[in-house]
Amino acid sequence: MRILLMGHPNVGKSAVFNRLTGARVTESNYPGTTVDYTKGRVRIEGDSFEIIDVPGAFSLEPKDKAEEVAVKMLEENKEAVAICVIDASKMERGLYLALQVIEKGYPVVIALNMWDVAQDKNIEIDVKELEDILTVPVVPVTAISGEGIRELALRIKEASLVKIEKIIEKAGN
Amino acid sequence: MLDVEQRWELIDKIAKRTIKFGKYRHTLQDAIAEITVKPLTGIPIAIAVLYGFWAFFVAFARFSTDGFLVKLFDMHWLPWLQEVFPAGKESWLYYIFVGDPLAENCFEAFGMLTSGLFVVIGVVLPAIVAFYLVLIVLEDSGYLPRLAVLIDTVLHKIGLHGYAIVPSILSLGCNVPACTACRILETKKQRFIMRTILAIFIPCGAQLGIMLKVIPETVGWVILYLLAGYFILGFILSRIVPGESPELLLDIPSYQRPTFSNVGRKLWVRTSSFFTTAIPFVLLGVIIINVLHLTGVIDWLATGLGPLLSGWFGVPKETVGALIVAFLRKDLAVAQLSAIEMTKYQMVTSVVLVSIYFPCIATFVMLLKEGGVKGFLGSLAALVATVFLYGGLLHLIWILLGVA
Amino acid sequence: MKNKFASVYFSVFGLIVLGLGIAELIIGIAGKSFTWSILEISGGLLLWKGIILFFAGFFYLSSVKNLSEIHQLAKNVMASVMLWTIAGMQIFAIITESIPGGEEGWINTWEGFLSAYSPPYIPALILLPFSLVTVYYVYAREK
Repeated sequence: MRILLMGHPNVGKSAVFNRLTGARVTESNYPGTTVDYTKGRVRIEGDSFEIIDVPGAFSLEPKDKAEEVAVKMLEENKEAVAICVIDASKMERGLYLALQVIEKGYPVVIALNMWDVAQDKNIEIDVKELEDILTVPVVPVTAISGEGIRELALRIKEASLVKIEKIIEKAGN
Repeated sequence: MLDVEQRWELIDKIAKRTIKFGKYRHTLQDAIAEITVKPLTGIPIAIAVLYGFWAFFVAFARFSTDGFLVKLFDMHWLPWLQEVFPAGKESWLYYIFVGDPLAENCFEAFGMLTSGLFVVIGVVLPAIVAFYLVLIVLEDSGYLPRLAVLIDTVLHKIGLHGYAIVPSILSLGCNVPACTACRILETKKQRFIMRTILAIFIPCGAQLGIMLKVIPETVGWVILYLLAGYFILGFILSRIVPGESPELLLDIPSYQRPTFSNVGRKLWVRTSSFFTTAIPFVLLGVIIINVLHLTGVIDWLATGLGPLLSGWFGVPKETVGALIVAFLRKDLAVAQLSAIEMTKYQMVTSVVLVSIYFPCIATFVMLLKEGGVKGFLGSLAALVATVFLYGGLLHLIWILLGVA
Repeated sequence: MKNKFASVYFSVFGLIVLGLGIAELIIGIAGKSFTWSILEISGGLLLWKGIILFFAGFFYLSSVKNLSEIHQLAKNVMASVMLWTIAGMQIFAIITESIPGGEEGWINTWEGFLSAYSPPYIPALILLPFSLVTVYYVYAREK
């Protein structure tokens, strides 16, 4: 199984990637482009998975080369699980991409990164409620200190396919 | 598929139900936790913590060893033993148990009941207690896992990850529990690298204690040289050993005040388990080396290996005796070096050689136990190559500096 | 008013800490020692002490702007903690040196015991009392 790490630029995606992967991270160039991406392995409860740090993208309607690569990578890995890294203090923007990935039919785990920064800004997110609506695992993470990373990894296996209609229905009530 | 508008509408609904403002207040503790892991502020703080660690260790060791235990052993125990030991001063029994009849201190007498006991109780005990005390406090307060995250990136370069700091620091106390602690690493490869580099390059608490006594001015440089070796060998091994080096996913607890009873209990468990494994080996080591001396084996080896030692490493051939003792207990070996006449630079080389040369027999057994035959032989091969190259390199440095 | 005073105080104090840190570094690199009145810059691990004081001074200085803000205060507290680490270990070293007797007996003489505590002192020890303002400030702020 492959894990794709998706998210906007500057949401600490690489920090999450570094916390999850060990040594032996390889950086390569996506064929035919100038876009680089990194690939590593993560070991969760004895099983080893490949994890790809997908280039930062705001949405899946590509507007630049990096976003094009992100979309292509998603399409090339139909069986992958996606970790959507979201800046917790700007959750709405990040959710946009996460919803798109869910709609495309990928199992998703959401990492609410920079949780400490959100707390500084006195933003409080009801994680339970969010999980309930989205029906995917949502984990608060502070990648820089490593807080929450373990839980994020352990909950990857809980990711499952969700119908967008179901989310709409739940959000409606 | 939703269109853009529908999607934003949905996000709006979700956000309304899950995001609230202005409830949470950052506490001082949270803010401190934050700055201890950010590299810019975290590294200076880590330096201060490690400085405190080392300063405490030195002060404590001086207080108990130099302040009281040296006096106890040299002025009371040694003269008393030399007087009342039943066998004659010329007998081999006297040589094995009391050592040199003319010795005025326990450090140089080299009998099982003199040097052996002195090293165990006089030098190693205080070092180990001081060492574990600080380590346990750091562990229980929650600082250690944060330190691990902080240096994660550096240790990735040698195929390990931040938590390798625990066996590494533990190894500064004793390599034996450190070998066991390598189990926290994820893969065979990581455990192998960790065990090998710590067995070779990290001096144990006992050695540190003796180093402070034998080469007080240069101990800092020696440790720096060993530390460099730790990274170089780790870097090489991580490139040539097959296998994966994944990240260890850590739980980061919040900071808390360590409790007295917890620290006390852990300190007792670790110190006592160290002693039940260490004491027999030290005493046995002294006996074996004294027997080898008596039977002339050491002289024979010294003549045979002499050219290698003086030619390649540039140290006196008498050092071979210490190198053999080093197989049993490194601390004793360093102590023995102090009795051999040599220059300051030769002394540094010898101390480094003893440190990186075979680990003590207890660690040896642990390498075999934890790594299996294959891992054990791998560590051994790395060790032999390292001793020759790294020891020779030091000699080369002295030649280049013009002091050899 | 209180915040203003604290900011000025820690600006000055931070500069002094920074300066003494640099002094320790210079003297440490030169391998010399220096004594003036009750101040003594010498001894082992001088470079390390210098580096730590240097950063502590830096932390103080970067904390003075808007000191009452929690993250700024955290830097101030950690600067003091770094200072206390050096000073605390020095006090511990002095105590452990004062108790055992030299060549003579088990326990030090009364004069010998007292002389261990007499000046000169290392910079961190002299700075220690002035750094306690941090503690006062944290308590005052909470009220």
